[in-house]
Parts: sequence; C-alpha cells; structure tokens
Amino acid sequence: MTPEQIADAVALALARGGRLWLVSTIGALAPALWALTLLLHLARPYVLRTLGKLSLRFGADLWWLAYVIGRDAVLVLTLGVSVTFLMPDLVLKLDLPLTAPLATLFLFWALAARLRTRGGDGGRTHRLMTALLVFGATFYFVPQTFAVEASSLPALAGFAAFFDSARNPAWAGPILAASLVGFVVTAAWIFTGGLGASNRRARGGPPASGVSVVR
Amino acid sequence: MTSEELADAIIRAFVEGGEAFLEGTLAAALPAVWLLVLALHLARPYVLDTTRGLSLRLAADIWWILYLAIRDGLVALAFVMSFMYLFPDVLVAEALPIGGSLATAALFAVLLTKLVADADDDPRAFAIVSWLLGAGALLYVGPTLVGVQASALGLGDPWDRLAAALVTSTNPALAIALWWVSVAAISAMGVVAVWFNLRAPADLPHEVGS
Repeated sequence: MTPEQIADAVALALARGGRLWLVSTIGALAPALWALTLLLHLARPYVLRTLGKLSLRFGADLWWLAYVIGRDAVLVLTLGVSVTFLMPDLVLKLDLPLTAPLATLFLFWALAARLRTRGGDGGRTHRLMTALLVFGATFYFVPQTFAVEASSLPALAGFAAFFDSARNPAWAGPILAASLVGFVVTAAWIFTGGLGASNRRARGGPPASGVSVVR
Repeated sequence: MTSEELADAIIRAFVEGGEAFLEGTLAAALPAVWLLVLALHLARPYVLDTTRGLSLRLAADIWWILYLAIRDGLVALAFVMSFMYLFPDVLVAEALPIGGSLATAALFAVLLTKLVADADDDPRAFAIVSWLLGAGALLYVGPTLVGVQASALGLGDPWDRLAAALVTSTNPALAIALWWVSVAAISAMGVVAVWFNLRAPADLPHEVGS
C-alpha cells in the first residue's frame, strides 16, 4: 500500500469509526442511565423517610433539593441518550433492543407527566411515573439483556433473533414509526400546554385545571 | 490489503478495543468501590459520635446528610457500574470474577433493604445490610484476587485450575448459571421495590419546598 492509500484508510476509519464509536458509547451508557433513573425514582420513600428525621428545615430542603436535582437531571439525560433509539438508520442497521424506541416513548411520557400534572412532585404523579418508567425499563432491559447481550447463549437464540432490531426489520420499522408518531404528538402536547399556561400567566388569568407548567 | 479493508480493521479495533477497555476498567475499579462501600457502611458509629459532638444543629444535619448521600449514593453507583455482569455475552467474552453477578444482586438487595426498612434505626435491617455487603464484597473481591489476578501469574496446578474455575471466560457454564440466579433475584426484588413504591405514602411534607 502507498502512503496515500494508508492515509485514506485512516481518514475513512476516523470518520466512520468515530461515528460508530460515539453511537456504541451511547449504547453502552444507556443501561447504566436507565438503571440510575429507576433507582433514583424508586428511592423516593427512602428519601422522604430520611427527610422526616432531619431536625432543621434548612437541612430538609437541602436534602430534598439535592434529590430532586439528581433524579430529574438523570431522567432528562437518559431521555437525551435514548433519542438515539429513534434514529431509523441506527435502529435498522445496528444490534439494538427491538422495543427500545417504545422505551424512549414511555420515558418521554414520564417526563411529560412530571411537567403537565398539577403538583409535579405529588404522590399521584409519582405513582403514574412509576408505572410509566417500569413499562419503559421493561421494554429496554428485557431485549437488551436477553437478546442483544445474549447472542452467545444457544438457549436464547430464537428470542435474540426476534428482539434484535437489525435482525428483525419487519417489526423494528413499525415499532420505530409508531414511537416516532407518539414522540411528536407528546412533544406537541407539552409545547402547547406550556405555551397556553405562559399566555394565561402573561394575561394575568388563572392556570387551566391540571396544568402547572410555569410556576 | 486494500485501503477499505484497512479502514474496516481500524474501525473494528476502535469499537471492540474501546468496549473491552471500558469493561476492563470498570472491573478493575469495582474492588476499590466495593471496599469503599463497606468502609463507609462500617464507619457509621464514628459518624454518629462526631454528629453528637457537634454543637450546632445545622452542622449536625449537614454532616449527616453528606454521610448518607455519599454512603448510599456509592452503593447505587456500584450497582450501576456492575450492570455489565447482567449481560451474558460480556461474561463469556471477558475474564471477570465469577461471583460478579451474585455480588450485583447483593448490591440490589442492599438498596431494597434500605428502601423497605430503616437500616439506620432498625438494628435488624442494619445487620441484614452488613451481611449482604460482606457477602457481596467477598463474592467480588475473592474471585478477583484468586481467579482473575492469579490466573495471569501461571502458578501451576492446583492454583491454575482453581483460578480458571473462578473466572467467567474460563468457566462459562457456572458463570451463566449464576447469571440466571442473579437476574431472577434482581427481577423479583425489582417487583417488590415497585410494589412498595406504589403502596408507600409518597406525598411531600407540606413544610418542605414551600
């Protein structure tokens, strides 16, 4: 090979490999972020119990604030990373969990529930979010653990072939399309609700029932 | 070799090497994290003594909050870092301690115990957490030292056979059997955690955040 050809090969590898490396890094981060999202969300009773033991309101506010910031920041970060699973080119060509786009949609619904329900941190919202996050995590972790990361197990060969997005494009395409539609509709719902609440506040009117986007 | 083939080889090296590097780094860091988790758990009497010695309530609250956040946050972090032990392909391909998946389940059991019981006020819950952390550390650090590390030294039989039995890539049958047990245990505990969340009073006290 001439030096020119080697330079071309390295440039090609950097361009293609860099993109692939970025995507695979995000893919590797997603299970950790999903697990952290669930852990922090389900830790709420423990955090509330500890809150009750603190002797000063300052300490209680500090503890609660740190929890809320960590929990919600991880939720948003997980959603940001999971948007990768809504990219058609990646879902149809790489070995990703078949139902990962649905998991992203459920995660987005959980975020929407926090934004659009009255008293965004109340007990009812917590239960609704728990249900949405558990469904999302199931859609993500089951195919990730038993299909994408279990190709070496003969006992799970059939399951792995079905739940791997690149190996089952007949199902991956419609699931992705349905998730994208759901994502756009939910985004529009959050946007119009937020805009409506802002306009009402600007005009000095009361917020609509069930909406407390802008405090 | 064409430039296209060379580019493909470099890409494969990047991606596969990067993944192996990440998994190897996590596995190497976990013994230190396990020991730190154990140390912070056992440091509770010292932290309580220091709290009692503080004359200002504000300082006592902050000291205690910091201790709880670091101690329990580290348990959660160790669980997240151990997540790779729940992926069978990783277990079969990499030289990892055989008890890693069970240790991950022990970490989740610690988190569940802290969720459903008050491990700081209930001596039984504290004892359960202590035993789980001790067993988890032993299951992780033991095979790391006697298996993963010793297998690289070539000490001869019976050490080599013992080391091979304690490494996932050289004993995949046991690694996968333990993986099934761990995944089943974590799934069952996950159901309990969700059930507890749906039943526990979740409303925020009025005075907080007002």
